[in-house]
Amino acid sequence: MTPILETPFLETPILQITGLAKQFSLHEQNETVPSCSEVALTAFPGQLTALTGPTGAGKSSVLKCIYRTYLPSAGRMDFHKANGTVVDLARISEQDMLQLRRTELGFVTQFLHCIPRRPAEEVVAEPLILRGLTLSEAVEQARDLLTRLNVPERLWRLPPATFSGGEKQRVNLARGLIAQPRLLLLDEPTASLDKTTTARVIELIRAFKQAGVAMVAIFHDPELVAALADVEYRLAPPQSLPQPTPALETASS
Amino acid sequence: MKPILEVQGLTRIHGTECPSCLDMTGPEHNTNVCPACGSIVAAANVSFSLQPGEILGIMGESGSGKSTVVKTLYFDQAPTRGKACFRDDTRTHDLFELNSAEQRWLRNHRFGMVYQNPNLGLNFSISAGGNIAERLLMNDLNHYGDIRRRASELLTRTDVMVGRMDESPRQFSGGMQQRVQIAKALATRPPLLFLDEVTTGLDLSVQARILDLILEIQHELDTAMIVVTHDLGVIRLLASRTLVMKHGRVIESGLTDQILEDPQHAYTQQLVASTL
Ligand SMILES: Nc1ncnc2c1ncn2[C@@H]1O[C@H](COP(=O)(O)OP(=O)(O)O)[C@@H](O)[C@H]1O
Ligand SMILES: [Mg+2]
Ligand SMILES: [Zn+2]
Repeated sequence: MTPILETPFLETPILQITGLAKQFSLHEQNETVPSCSEVALTAFPGQLTALTGPTGAGKSSVLKCIYRTYLPSAGRMDFHKANGTVVDLARISEQDMLQLRRTELGFVTQFLHCIPRRPAEEVVAEPLILRGLTLSEAVEQARDLLTRLNVPERLWRLPPATFSGGEKQRVNLARGLIAQPRLLLLDEPTASLDKTTTARVIELIRAFKQAGVAMVAIFHDPELVAALADVEYRLAPPQSLPQPTPALETASS
Repeated sequence: MKPILEVQGLTRIHGTECPSCLDMTGPEHNTNVCPACGSIVAAANVSFSLQPGEILGIMGESGSGKSTVVKTLYFDQAPTRGKACFRDDTRTHDLFELNSAEQRWLRNHRFGMVYQNPNLGLNFSISAGGNIAERLLMNDLNHYGDIRRRASELLTRTDVMVGRMDESPRQFSGGMQQRVQIAKALATRPPLLFLDEVTTGLDLSVQARILDLILEIQHELDTAMIVVTHDLGVIRLLASRTLVMKHGRVIESGLTDQILEDPQHAYTQQLVASTL
């Protein structure tokens, strides 16, 4: 894996990944499928780190390992928390990961998973409510962000289930961005957006960088990488680990 | 933050236990019936903890022992062995060491239960309002007007028409009966709520509204919950962490998104694959 476009930073990194690998043991098929291997990367506050590489190189897997949606098979992921301590995301307890997700770590996945039947503005507001804001404060900020992302006002009170792909994606983005996590993972956040909206997303990402948010992102469009990335890591197709390896043991809560 | 509930080695065996019961049952033996003595190992060595305000899912097929876990914690059944500690503002209660009066007090004041079968949670010989009043009375609310007001507030909150509060819940639809059960369970604002297959067998749209209600309650009251279900959709929607049970054992546990996207155990992999 080669870092391209690297610029030197004096700042403390927020995330340092070394030797990360993930492989799936599929019991029924009696098969081991590697999904990423030998991943090493460093992400800094205020910087966007782009993951690139061919389909199947494991870009989404890396993000999912960081977020613990996948249990890593090997490696370390040192995360520098706001309070100055460093934790290994591959090994922290489930409770600690849930706490980080509420406060410092955000993920905009490719698809919106949310409570059915809830109005879009409340879906977007939810991360703020989890942080203790009142519904009306949170919804006010949600509306602001929905405006910036070009979501028409007539949709705000409707549940996103019936929205178009692009509208859903904007709601999903807004929900991921609203709480301004310190580290934001983005998996193709503009894949189904039109030009105007993509431009707004680019503006927002730039504003986030200004505000010191670190991002690790996958873009389908190389132009976006060129426009937004401070560092690019190109992933090579994954190799199997030497031995069948169980998932790493995590701390008990 | 300290857990509100810590369970260690919870075991429930139906029948006279023999030395082989634990060794010869479980997922690797593909049974929960002891071949040596015929006892049923409904749950064995179940351990977990629950944070205040957290929703924990227990998932698994019918007969895997999910209900046994919540029923022992709610004192509907006694465990064969195991330890469970419940913490409230004032102290830690060692659940299986309490006498029955103390257990009853916790059940009435600190816990709430919603059963799959409304027959178990509701008294059909009295009105819906009366069901709630019963629970309020146990909580030292005994002014008729206050009780009626609180009961109608709770029914309104759970979208049961207050106009029907004097009818027996026997005549209600399945979805409405579950709402009355939820209203009743919430009457004392318990910090811990057990939900056993509460949406199973209901129409999808009715299910959806009940799940919404559960999430709203969790947001409003910060209630910790254990949600038992065989439905992965319910787990995905409600639970932050999930235990998977089979033949009385917890075969794996993790963050819910991880259990669903990266299941480790062969059985969970099958379960998830079959619902994609
Ligand atoms: N009173 C009982 N006597 C004998 N076996 C029981 C009794 N209650 C439950 N079981 C058995 O214990 C096992 C676990 O049951 P249960 O906890 O109800 O499972 P679940 O809720 O996962 O469907 C099943 O095999 C069930 O038949
Ligand atoms: Mg059951
Ligand atoms: Zn036996």
